[in-house]
Amino acid sequence: MADPRKVFGDLLRATRIAKGYSLRKFAEMVEVSPTYLSQVEQAKSERPPTAERVRTMAQLLGQDPDEWIALAGRIPADLTEIIKNEPQAMPALLRAAKGLTADELRKLTERIREQKKGGGKK
Amino acid sequence: MTRRRIAFRKYRVPFLHEKSIEGHAQLLLDEWALNHPAVTEPPVPIEDILELHLGLAFSVTDLQDELGHPDVLGGIWFGDRMIKVDQSLDPTLAPNRLGRYRFTIAHEVGHWRLHRQHLRDDPSAKSLFEANGEPAFVQRSSANPPEEIQANAFAACVLMPRQMVYDGWALWRGSDAEVAVSDLQVGDYHADRQANERLAMDQFCRPLAERFEVSAEAMRYRLQKLGLLVQELQPRLF
Repeated sequence: MADPRKVFGDLLRATRIAKGYSLRKFAEMVEVSPTYLSQVEQAKSERPPTAERVRTMAQLLGQDPDEWIALAGRIPADLTEIIKNEPQAMPALLRAAKGLTADELRKLTERIREQKKGGGKK
Repeated sequence: MTRRRIAFRKYRVPFLHEKSIEGHAQLLLDEWALNHPAVTEPPVPIEDILELHLGLAFSVTDLQDELGHPDVLGGIWFGDRMIKVDQSLDPTLAPNRLGRYRFTIAHEVGHWRLHRQHLRDDPSAKSLFEANGEPAFVQRSSANPPEEIQANAFAACVLMPRQMVYDGWALWRGSDAEVAVSDLQVGDYHADRQANERLAMDQFCRPLAERFEVSAEAMRYRLQKLGLLVQELQPRLF
């Protein structure tokens, strides 16, 4: 299987070029050095970009931040908080949901949203 | 990372007249202008030309370690369509090296435009066009064979196009009159008078160099080449 860092690096580079930003220009926009951005694009970085930085990159390039954060091998900061706040119930929920298809997950999410809405009315 | 020391072969490149090199540089700018706003004033967007027009891969990396030479500035890989610049020139980490960073990129683009086709036709250079091959050219601060001089000339012409320099000069000086070194304030920092003169000239060139985002040294060479910075003023007939 392809190195996930390489998949992310290639995607980042291709999207950056498609949007018309040179390496240095985009590095300036996300407040890193061209050297570091090169490392990320070439999958040579020992420090992958933080979730927040990937979010900035995705937003600047008009991409979905959550998808990019996952591709970069990071977990969005709010998820860490959510799990920390419910250290037993949340992992249990995630483990239970593991293996569901994308469609099933979407339906489940909708049901949870409905349930929360209903709960708010009571 | 494993250190590799590559023995660079001496590839013969044909003689190129500087007018021809200047023509190649202008052609690249004209090509760029077909799909992008024409470059009418400095700085010339060489990084955009490299990545967005030529479509070459580009990275800033620890090239000195990668190639095992302490004075490597940049290199080009024809097979991988890749240009690399050494991280010591990263302008974010060393803002005063922005000019050298851009010049190194323009120099490597020079190899791409001036020498690639020639080596394509050379059977002994076949390996240079394979993926993960060795670099076709490596720019070092300590070596200046003919192909490197040609690439430097290309870089100077593309970053400091003749007419743009004349216009920039007239705007800056308020006239198109040349300036003589003998009119500059030359200090005595070195025992060598020529070194003092070069220092005075670089100091003088700095405002224009900053506008073009090149080093003062590169601008000095260009102004001398274009006859704007001269050793002595020639008496005029009229």
